[in-house]
Amino acid sequence: MVAILTTAFTLACVGIFLLLYVNLRAAAGWLQDDIRIMVYLDDRLASDSIADVEQDLRSDRAVASLLFISKEQALGEFKAQFPSESHLLEGLGQNPLPASFVVALSPSFRSPDAVKRWAERVRQVAGVSKVDYNQDWIDALATVIRSIELVAIGIGVILSGAAVTIIANTIRLTLFARRDEIAILRLIGATTSFIRIPYLLEGAVLGALGSALSLVMLKLMYELFRQQMRTTGRFSGLDNLMAFFPSSVCFALIAVGMGLGFAGSFVSIRRFGEAKA
Amino acid sequence: MIQLIHVSKQYDQRPALSDVTLEIGKGEFVLLMGPSGAGKSTLLRMLIGAERPDGGQIFVHQKNVTTLKPSDIPYLRRKVGTVFQDFRLLPKKPVFDNVALPLLVQGVSSADIRRKVTEALRAVGVEHKRDQLPAGLSTGEQQRVCIARAIVNGPVVLLADEPTGNLDPTLTAEIIELFKLINARGTTVVVATHDPLVMAQVNRRVLILSQGRLLPEQRVMG
Repeated sequence: MVAILTTAFTLACVGIFLLLYVNLRAAAGWLQDDIRIMVYLDDRLASDSIADVEQDLRSDRAVASLLFISKEQALGEFKAQFPSESHLLEGLGQNPLPASFVVALSPSFRSPDAVKRWAERVRQVAGVSKVDYNQDWIDALATVIRSIELVAIGIGVILSGAAVTIIANTIRLTLFARRDEIAILRLIGATTSFIRIPYLLEGAVLGALGSALSLVMLKLMYELFRQQMRTTGRFSGLDNLMAFFPSSVCFALIAVGMGLGFAGSFVSIRRFGEAKA
Repeated sequence: MIQLIHVSKQYDQRPALSDVTLEIGKGEFVLLMGPSGAGKSTLLRMLIGAERPDGGQIFVHQKNVTTLKPSDIPYLRRKVGTVFQDFRLLPKKPVFDNVALPLLVQGVSSADIRRKVTEALRAVGVEHKRDQLPAGLSTGEQQRVCIARAIVNGPVVLLADEPTGNLDPTLTAEIIELFKLINARGTTVVVATHDPLVMAQVNRRVLILSQGRLLPEQRVMG
């Protein structure tokens, strides 16, 4: 029971980071989905050529949607957004704002690298004067995702190692307590697998139960956290965006726990067997 | 049935067995005698592959034990029953389960286990103790249970290491009679002992080990 609890606490720590990672990754995905790329057109471009650029963009499989903003619309938007500054443009005599396309990319082309490559390519298209998107924001986002990924992997590996060690020690204690029984079984002709299988199964069951218990603990903590967010009113709306592991991931985590338990047991039995040989 | 050819074994540069050569035929009853530390237990342990010799060859039931793969040793041990001075019974299991153990590891069916265990317990005279734990038995009964476990799967060889070491003279005589009965059914029996009482009761071949060397053979008349 102590072994199951200790394993559960260890795996729950892994689970916290995994949950954090999954949610941040999802949040990063939503933010990434919102990225719009501005393709500014050359001011001297004739309407036929604008249609050519539009045709080019529409036929690009990376482009999910396209919105044309004419010079007049751009000016109108500027005036609507910055009414107190509109006199600045009137002083210039002519409309200095370029026509543009607002492009949303398909999901498979939304990674920071893909966006960068696409923008570089479109910059070369005749009639395009500038391609603008929030490069810094995308790069920062990519760095944050990579960092979280690395931390999650690092912590996951360390704590998984801890779980294996805990289970290995539990099984070693069991083996030590039953060493006389094991010696008798060997002397009467029990095969190695006959002796090992029950302990391997015990390790796997310990790991699976520890993992299942850690998921219960995580779910409780998760619900408590959401409740807390709702009652305090902080980050309102964010609690609706948060998500727990889907059932497939829960089963996968239990399977991982089972695997770790099996590994711990295997390590112990190998050492015990070598010591006895 | 058993053959040792120039077998030697050392522990920390101290010879336990030196150049031992012997042969035990099918159905023989052999006493292996000698003082403590003479190498009797080492020799028996080698016969079941629990120890490897430093030199020489060992054959048991036509198998070369010295070249046997570790994974094949359990199958050799199923042909060789072993009786220990300290009985080595599982304290938390009743008599029946202890005797059933060799059959269980071989995957024998429950019906066959019930039949064979009952026969073995009857043969050694402790059938009525089948549901008791070893702690509730006398030393003589515990040794009988140990013998029942050793013969339950019909081994071709029965090895006994100081089987009467913890028994009084009356119980020793009973246990020796039991070995004679088992031998009479065709099982080769090798009993290692330093107890002169045992030698006095057995009119059989005697092998004497002294400081790891086998002395010239003699036959003792009981």
